[in-house]
Amino acid sequence: MNEEEIIASGILELYVCGSLPEIEALEVEAAINRFPNLKKEVEIIEASLITLAENVSPPLSTVVWTYILNTIRNVNNSSTTQRSFNWASVSGWAAAILLLGGLLWMLNQNNTLEQKVELTTTENSELENKLKTTEKDLIDTEKDLTDTESVLAVLRSDDFNTVLLPGNKDVAPEASAKIFYNSNNNVVYIDAKGLPKAPKGRVYQVWSLKMQPLTPSSMGLLEELNAVKPNLYKFDSFPTAEGFGITLEPKGGSETPTLSQLYVLGTVTQS
Amino acid sequence: MEQPNLLILQMQQKNEKAFERLYGMYSEAIYGIIYSIVLDEPTAEEVLQDSFIKIWDNSEAYDVNKGRFFTWILNIARNTAIDKTRSKSYKNTKKNLTTTNFVDILTSYDNLNSKTNAIGIKKFVEKLKPTCIKIIELLFFQGFTQKDAANELEMPLGTLKTRNRNCLRDLRWLVIGPQ
Repeated sequence: MNEEEIIASGILELYVCGSLPEIEALEVEAAINRFPNLKKEVEIIEASLITLAENVSPPLSTVVWTYILNTIRNVNNSSTTQRSFNWASVSGWAAAILLLGGLLWMLNQNNTLEQKVELTTTENSELENKLKTTEKDLIDTEKDLTDTESVLAVLRSDDFNTVLLPGNKDVAPEASAKIFYNSNNNVVYIDAKGLPKAPKGRVYQVWSLKMQPLTPSSMGLLEELNAVKPNLYKFDSFPTAEGFGITLEPKGGSETPTLSQLYVLGTVTQS
Repeated sequence: MEQPNLLILQMQQKNEKAFERLYGMYSEAIYGIIYSIVLDEPTAEEVLQDSFIKIWDNSEAYDVNKGRFFTWILNIARNTAIDKTRSKSYKNTKKNLTTTNFVDILTSYDNLNSKTNAIGIKKFVEKLKPTCIKIIELLFFQGFTQKDAANELEMPLGTLKTRNRNCLRDLRWLVIGPQ
């Protein structure tokens, strides 16, 4: 066969798809080495198929890459690392990814978190001054909080720990949320002003997280029912939390968090 | 569109940065293939992780002088995905999803999709004939051998090859522009 006959036969498409028996694949390779045009044709076919497949792909979270990197590093460091493929449930799997991805991410956020957690332990008189000097991206949230005495009372109380939930840089880098957490009686207020408006048919769902082992439990949805003020929600009666996350879920919420829609995440730091 | 052989060689020498670049180039396409097989995002993410870990662990098995890198990782991903669909945990959760094909998935995404050539690709698949959809689904997404696909579609091998080529013809213009 000459170049044109090879191209017209459609065998190059099957070569890229990996559908040829080995002997035919070898023949194609020999022909590619002989005719540079065939190589170009193969590259175009491959680029077309890649574009098609990319358009079939759902949004891809970079948590996946973090997990891969951690795994190959662990294997390099110790040959005894085991990975279990018998996950008990989807939620168990999700928790493991959340843990690995989350831990790295939290390390990065550590400095800023510590600074901000100090806010709640400061004297009342110092509080307003400190609020003014907080980072620019928080100014809006802080203003809102100074609006009413009742909200200030929560914020000023030593019983409430402030947990900042920065935006997941892959999904919503601009997003943020702030949680005031009273671990004595498990009451939280969530300031959701930093979250984008949920699209139609979707709703934000709040998760309390236990760290070892990492277990997400649904606390509820950011909806009218749980709102105490615009963008301020109150939740109680949930398991003691070591961290919080907010995901975007289909209306009515989900049983387990959808990681690719993880908007914000943060841990409780003991102060 | 030339294959990044230098990066591949560096990855084979366990260079993480090179591996990350390759992941950036191919992961989305591979994820699309995997998702079309398992039809569930958390499962597809898990299979994608497992596939790229296999690619890293077995990278020296690939020879840049033989075969396309994309075809090599495509085979790894499809095999990993198909193994997953046979696992007990998967069977317990998924049952009646077998009729969904890549066109159903693609057309279910909204127009806000910012992927390369999204609008053109959508038009392309909307015009595809049912036979074309089946051929591309079996050969590219499901990874059938030419023999199995020909049997499944009750079509002579030669016809299968030329029809597959004709089905894909319009796709190339989206990538290289009209010539």
